[in-house]
Amino acid sequence: MTSFIDYTVNGLVIGNIYALLAVGLALIFGVANLINFAHGSVYTIGAYVGWAAITFLHTPLPVTMAIVAVVCAFLGVAIERIALRPLQGKARIAPLLATIGLSFVLDQLVQLVCSPDPRAVPSDLPDWRVSVGGVSLGAMDFLIAAVGIVSAALLYGFLRFTKLGFAVRATAQDREAALQMGVNVNAVNSAVFAIASALGGLGGLLVGMYYNHIDPAMSFQATLKGVVAQVIGGVGNVPGAILGGALLGLTESYGIALFGTSYRNLFAFALLIVFLLWAPNGLFRTGSGVSAEPLVGTFVAPSRPIRLPRWAVASMAIAAFALPLVTSAPYLLQTLTNAWLAAVLALSLTLVAGTAGQISLGQAALLAIGGYASALLALDLGAPAIISVPAAALITAALGTLLVFPAFRLRGHYIAIATLAIGEIVSLVILNWEGLTGGAMGLTGIPPLSFVGRDLDSNRAIYWTCLIVVVIVALLQNRLLGSHLGRTLRAMREDEVAAQSYGVSLDRYKALAFAFGGFAAGVAGAITAHLYSYLNNQTFDSQLSLLALTMVILGGMGNVLGAIVGAVVLVGLPELFRVAAEYRILIYGIVLLLLVRFRPQGLLGTV
Amino acid sequence: MSLFQTLKLRSLAKSVFLATGLAALGAMPAFAQTAASGEPVTIGVSGPLTGQNAQYGAQWKKGFDLALDEVNAKGGVKGRPLQYVFEDSQADPRQTVAIAQKFVSDPKIVVELGDFSSTASMAASPIYQRAGLVQFGFTNSHPNFTKGGDFIWSNSVSQADEQPRLAKYAADLGFKRVAVLYLNTDWGRQSQKIFSEAAKGDGLEVVASEAYQPDEKDFRSTLVRVRDAKPDAIVLISYYADGALITRQIRTVGLTTPIVASGSIYSPKFIELAGDAANGVFTETNFFPGENRPDVQTFVTKFRAKYNEEPDDFNAVAYDTIILLANVMNQYDLDRTAIRDGLAHIKDVPSVIYGKATFDPETRRVPGARAVYLVVKNGQYTPWDGKKPSAI
Repeated sequence: MTSFIDYTVNGLVIGNIYALLAVGLALIFGVANLINFAHGSVYTIGAYVGWAAITFLHTPLPVTMAIVAVVCAFLGVAIERIALRPLQGKARIAPLLATIGLSFVLDQLVQLVCSPDPRAVPSDLPDWRVSVGGVSLGAMDFLIAAVGIVSAALLYGFLRFTKLGFAVRATAQDREAALQMGVNVNAVNSAVFAIASALGGLGGLLVGMYYNHIDPAMSFQATLKGVVAQVIGGVGNVPGAILGGALLGLTESYGIALFGTSYRNLFAFALLIVFLLWAPNGLFRTGSGVSAEPLVGTFVAPSRPIRLPRWAVASMAIAAFALPLVTSAPYLLQTLTNAWLAAVLALSLTLVAGTAGQISLGQAALLAIGGYASALLALDLGAPAIISVPAAALITAALGTLLVFPAFRLRGHYIAIATLAIGEIVSLVILNWEGLTGGAMGLTGIPPLSFVGRDLDSNRAIYWTCLIVVVIVALLQNRLLGSHLGRTLRAMREDEVAAQSYGVSLDRYKALAFAFGGFAAGVAGAITAHLYSYLNNQTFDSQLSLLALTMVILGGMGNVLGAIVGAVVLVGLPELFRVAAEYRILIYGIVLLLLVRFRPQGLLGTV
Repeated sequence: MSLFQTLKLRSLAKSVFLATGLAALGAMPAFAQTAASGEPVTIGVSGPLTGQNAQYGAQWKKGFDLALDEVNAKGGVKGRPLQYVFEDSQADPRQTVAIAQKFVSDPKIVVELGDFSSTASMAASPIYQRAGLVQFGFTNSHPNFTKGGDFIWSNSVSQADEQPRLAKYAADLGFKRVAVLYLNTDWGRQSQKIFSEAAKGDGLEVVASEAYQPDEKDFRSTLVRVRDAKPDAIVLISYYADGALITRQIRTVGLTTPIVASGSIYSPKFIELAGDAANGVFTETNFFPGENRPDVQTFVTKFRAKYNEEPDDFNAVAYDTIILLANVMNQYDLDRTAIRDGLAHIKDVPSVIYGKATFDPETRRVPGARAVYLVVKNGQYTPWDGKKPSAI
């Protein structure tokens, strides 16, 4: 019984921290209808600004907090002004990509300036503690709770009772209408980003002090948990974010109590899925919540896709096939092989996200399923690659569709968040199901690809194999898009209600899109497993899902050739910038931002 | 300017400086070692310079640079300067395979080092093995790493040596019931398995075993589980950053259970991050700057002089590895196969970690790392005085 109280208290303590992150994310989501992936980076910068103030200026805590809040508020304004405002009226998806690019840039800057080493952040809070049951609470626990609750209360009052608050809410409900009523929408957005970023930065500082530990890589997890907490509280709902954080903390804590530490995130993401399915508006069912308009569809920037003539595409393909005959440079062939494998992933995602309008942030999980399936078939049953790869692709198609099936009734951002969670769950199951997958030890000695008894282990053979897969998947997908299936999927993307009233069974067509996408991704994952000979839970991580989405958006949503171009560009760029050593990811992030800024509909345009 | 060029220039500048220095001295005997000159010999390094593990890549570089200073001042390898090219992989398998192809196709590269994690390193192993370029993983403790083929070698301390010693230390300290917290990676899982088996033999009972994720920050609920198992001691199988987080939280939640940590936490950073909570932590290390052995003392003195900071385990293994390879190249030859064969034959290379390093040609690993038992006192690592703890 005392343990139960202890788990509860501990859950609330960590929930506190999630709440602090969720409040800022909720505010931005509420107004800009945007998952701000750069929020975690602002949090990291806040922590480092605080560290610098304490270390070099020896500021007392209130002064440190003020400095951090001001610096991060300005940073928020700058993010909104420089990276996001120019994207207004362009594709709805562009700002999301911009925040991803920004998070790369900001995280890398922190790492370059402050070194990747973790640092200690001393706190000058008094060292008193109160015992509750078998655990104790310190001054920092109360400070974090106070900052979270007070800021949420202030924000609530501000949104509810002040003039600027009205303007913020009006902008959140209908940007165009607010603009017509004379609301300075840009000023509102600036204010929102300033407040949210100040809070995010403060969160970073307090959490850094709490753990006496900050590092430049802390931002991604922070964003992830913040997003989960705010969805549970109801997206865009500020007081809800506090409760969402608490509930998430409690669930994790009880999860640990029941099954052990390695199940923590499994519980977190399962809770998220439960909420998405049964209470998508979060703990508070206030009205309809955020408008459930599709993320792409009517929000796709009206662009005419660049149509390359057939002979141009064909000659590019022939050139790609002929390349290994001209050069045998292994590095070039390997980089392109990587690009072809990425292209298959991007093709699968562009069908699901671009054509069918189901933005997926968990696509890497399909690679993992395909990779593990083929590896296990080969290792445990001795199946040759010619059987194990297609079999793995079928398994991926079936399992992948089954896993997202419950999410079919979701719309817009919710699908993205649900697939993110499903992806995390797959990877955690792989980690914990040691008997099947080897857990963290992974699978070793996966045999190389082979064809009628001959190992395909020369660079050329591997290159051609992967290229053939790309071409087949691309041709199939092209055929599919031109058929009634493609038209039906696009109709569904544009307007689900209209499509349904014309007799389209939404579930069936979504399942079809996911199954085809799953099959393609499964092939890519299976081939990767045989090439690497080793797999573990980190081989296909969630960053890869993000990268796949970036490729798709970059190439142009739904654009088959665009997906391939996007993959080649995003695999190629970091390699091209290799000479820049530590600076290359920074340059990559900046290039990404510029591309989004000047070509938000993608290089080849949306289809 | 690329890193490659920077290094080249740096070593050029150094040889010029040394040459003039020697000329000025004049009195040096004719057989004195002269600075290396001519076409440099290149080692390819694949490791994280950006991303989540970037700090470890940065630590490697410090160890490499120090060792290269030493090697090149003593005439390099076969009279030629030794240098490395560091390619950033972010410890991402998709990038290590590309880097592997780059290295195997570059005739200047005679041996490869890294990568950091098993995920990243083992994905590239088939490429190195096929091309016949030695992949030397000096932080790869995965038991199957060197099984990738006869070109895959490692001088990483085998957990089969390390963990039984940790169990023995815990038993020597008089503990009977231990709770283990381990990093849920291939390294942590493997270590935990070996530790638990060894613990049985030493009369230790493992009363709880908790795996945590590398990016986990909050351990309060885990510690309730640990407390409820009523251990005499908590054993950490961690790196320094996460080890420090846990140690701190053990003390802030009010647990007074003694802590025994595996040697991988050994770093000045551990004490900095854990603060006062680090006091009383028992650990053992393969590398202890306070140890009175010439190899260790030379390394530590030089490291402090160059970087004005305390070296840690990662610095030491990186340093050791360059010294080892320079020895192999000097005694055998500079081509890829000769280096592979040389690794199998070379005996008793001076080493900070091993004292004297000799490979077992079957496992392609080095057995028998030494260890020093330590305890943290007043924010300093000090050798264990043999006293059993009563309570903290």
